[in-house]
Amino acid sequence: MRRWPTGIATGVAVAVAAAVGMVAALATASAASPATTQAAPVAPVVPKGPSPLIYPAETIPIKFDHAAHARLGATCESCHSTASQSTAAGDNLIPGEAACRSCHKIDHAQPSKVTAKGQGQARCDACHVDAAGNGWMPLNAFSQPPRVALPRPNLKFNHRLHATRGIGCELCHGNAASEAMVTRVDLPMMSSCLGCHNGKEAGMEAGKQSTARCGACHLTEPDGRLQVRLATPATIAAGGTGLLEPSGSLRGFDAHDMTFRRDHAQAGRDESYCLSCHRRNECVDCHGGVVKPPDIHPSDYVTLHVPDARRNVPDCSSCHRLQTFCVGCHQRTGVASDPTGGLPGVKPHNPFGTGTAVKQFHPPGWARDDAGVPIATPRPQSHSVQAKRNIRTCVSCHREESCLTCHSTDPTRGPTFSPHGPNFGRTARCRFLAARNQRACLKCHVIGAAELDCEP
Amino acid sequence: MWSPSRCLARLLVGLIVCGAAAPARAYDFSVDVRTIGQGYQVRGFAPDGTNELLSRRRLTQYLDLNVFDIGPDSWHGDDGGRNVFYVDASVRFDADFGGYILGAPTGVNSIQELNQNGLDILYAFLGGRNVGGHVDFQLGRQLHFDLIDFYAFDGADVLFHATRTFGVEAFAGTEVRGTLPLSSPIYELDGTSAGSRDPATRPAQNSEMSPLAGAALVAGAPAGPWSARLSFREIWSATANQQPGEPSSGINQEVVSLTAMAAWGNRIFLSGGLRYNVLFDELDDEQLALRVKLTPRQWLTLEHDFLAPTFDGDSIWNIFSTGAYRDLRASYEIALPRGVKAYARGFARFYLATTDEIATTGPYAGQDVGAMAPGGRFAAGGSVGAAWRNARGMLRADAYWDDGYGGRKAGVDATTRVKVRAPIELEGRLTGYTWRNDVQPTVNSSGVVFGAEAGGRFRLGQGVHLHLLVEDNVGTYYESQFRGLAMVELGAGL
Repeated sequence: MRRWPTGIATGVAVAVAAAVGMVAALATASAASPATTQAAPVAPVVPKGPSPLIYPAETIPIKFDHAAHARLGATCESCHSTASQSTAAGDNLIPGEAACRSCHKIDHAQPSKVTAKGQGQARCDACHVDAAGNGWMPLNAFSQPPRVALPRPNLKFNHRLHATRGIGCELCHGNAASEAMVTRVDLPMMSSCLGCHNGKEAGMEAGKQSTARCGACHLTEPDGRLQVRLATPATIAAGGTGLLEPSGSLRGFDAHDMTFRRDHAQAGRDESYCLSCHRRNECVDCHGGVVKPPDIHPSDYVTLHVPDARRNVPDCSSCHRLQTFCVGCHQRTGVASDPTGGLPGVKPHNPFGTGTAVKQFHPPGWARDDAGVPIATPRPQSHSVQAKRNIRTCVSCHREESCLTCHSTDPTRGPTFSPHGPNFGRTARCRFLAARNQRACLKCHVIGAAELDCEP
Repeated sequence: MWSPSRCLARLLVGLIVCGAAAPARAYDFSVDVRTIGQGYQVRGFAPDGTNELLSRRRLTQYLDLNVFDIGPDSWHGDDGGRNVFYVDASVRFDADFGGYILGAPTGVNSIQELNQNGLDILYAFLGGRNVGGHVDFQLGRQLHFDLIDFYAFDGADVLFHATRTFGVEAFAGTEVRGTLPLSSPIYELDGTSAGSRDPATRPAQNSEMSPLAGAALVAGAPAGPWSARLSFREIWSATANQQPGEPSSGINQEVVSLTAMAAWGNRIFLSGGLRYNVLFDELDDEQLALRVKLTPRQWLTLEHDFLAPTFDGDSIWNIFSTGAYRDLRASYEIALPRGVKAYARGFARFYLATTDEIATTGPYAGQDVGAMAPGGRFAAGGSVGAAWRNARGMLRADAYWDDGYGGRKAGVDATTRVKVRAPIELEGRLTGYTWRNDVQPTVNSSGVVFGAEAGGRFRLGQGVHLHLLVEDNVGTYYESQFRGLAMVELGAGL
């Protein structure tokens, strides 16, 4: 057998070179991301608050003070007059210049128009700003002010439906009237929605309830699952990484953070919740044991699996059925014992080397002492401790017949060592098991034997 | 002249004409096809004492079919969530080819469930959600999972929502067992080999149909701050080739399980479950986890697990496997600026003493052999890692270490994935680790391995992806061990 030192230098060198190349590529690609190279008339809003994938980056080259207007008596409807009739989240509800004209006597022919004290300003730069946030004034008669750009939010929302049910603007936009500029940062987050959308009666129109169905608000695929691939230049510019994932604010354990792939059992307790975004075959892809997830089983896991299998960390049976998977590989590779071993009159033979002294899988004293006599009493090195703690490792090579070689009441097989602890016949475990499935008992005990009744 | 047969024929023709004249029902479907080819080398152990690399190939073919949006829009209510009917199916062909050190076992020695060169229907069912505002159902081969259970059966599952926060569920069918035609063994109860006292009947019991029935109480709103599920499930089978004196049937599994979750203020989350195994009159699985959002960017998770391994009621492993363990686990995660995240996690395991680990006779009489066993009754380990992620890719590094009962392993792992151009995504991985077996002190008991993976994912067209990956390892036992994977995915919907 060849040993590793002669080839390790080459392997490590190739691996390091590959790593450096990939990191360089990532850094290069990162520098070339649309977030930084796409020309934008105004710098996008720095991401804060709601998910950038739900509310993409926006451009609002306007100077506006909601609080000041509210103090002057303006209501939401004064300017956002179409909001109460809006049925789609993508509707542009930002008022046009016409709405401003009721108070601001704008005259395009007079960009620097001065108005009397107490009247709304009419200069262009009173409201319009440039990319640097400074007041904008036209350079000539053909100049156009920077335009508002509001990408469509990745959300379904029907303002009219909510308005007709008596829900006021302030319930969701409560902070708008007290702030100057209102941006995507101030838009309602999911926790606000869930205040009513909890699947219970919300005290509104009789017979109606606020649905808690994810797809009622989130965009959905044709089959009803949520759309999660939401990478666009606008969502990336807002700080999104492309995939809509649970943040953990709803169920805590559902956050798709760094340890999620390994530790998602608590989140997976509710399959219907997972299936809101995932297809069922995604579960099977991993838990079916066909392709190894590299972050759980690193390269050459066949070599490393020994300590993991002994501890059962991670739980092998969550993806592999031991008699299908482990025995199959161990038989192919010559690790598993001869499958005929354990039948009456046939002793197990292990091609790995047990009994041949060529190689020895189990340490000395595992099942027989130095004289080759089967060990009848527990010892630290014997197999009994291991079998009690994790018999799965045993049966990744052996079958029940192997155990029955020494642990059957049938003397034709071999020794008749009892695997039962002291006073097993008096335990509830004995009574319950014997009452529910005596077939297991009959693999070792003779039909009609007195011990099958357990002791009362 | 009146004729019943003629009348029936006219009635059938009339029904067909009316049916054909009715408005067509709407439906959409998607078909996903994945072909996965793998070539790999695995170390074999020849009888003459040499190691050799076996070359093997594996071909896996998936065919997934989803039919949805069945029925006219008028069925689905204001928010589209009512009377939703769908079909979900997945079929897999899986074959593992290649060499055996000693040749494949045949005849009575072959284990039926090892035969992987087969066609499996993983699941295929008709489902309904919110039917009539009260009922969810699945009919066919179905797969279910929760915190404690992962099982599949052929049959029906019906959940009746009595109120918005309370429902009653009932299900019945037969357990999916690998020995049945077109069935995968991956979800059946573990622990039943083909073993039996009578060699003539060895495979029979394992092939018996296993009826399954159960019921559950479900409480909590879908997005509410708490939920719970209390369920009962029983699986049994008739005795194959029953001999005089043998029971006519036996129970393979009988469990009562409770899972629950609660949240306080979107910051504190408690989740857990426990399972009472009626076969053995014991709680064999207890899990409790607490997750706390310390700050908007920091999470702390604490877990306690207790597990006493149990198996199919037909298995004698239930007699031998009397040990249990408790795990204490903790993990901490933090989101740092500029798209960087980091974590640390650790566990401590305590194997519980069994009643017979104090030897009463023999050379260790009076001594606790469980505590003296290699590794003792304790194991612990942990890992740390950090990742940097942006819209174009990610870079991640992890380091881990486990020791105690079971042996030692320690390693490092670095991964990167980057979108080079729109249709091309490259990935790479470097690993290095060392391990040591605590039981086998001399031969094949420790090793060092370095590995490298490189690959890419290529979008060849609308719904068509190619994923290529090659891996090579060098270490204590090889100068080179190769694995290659090619996956073609085709997805289409109408």
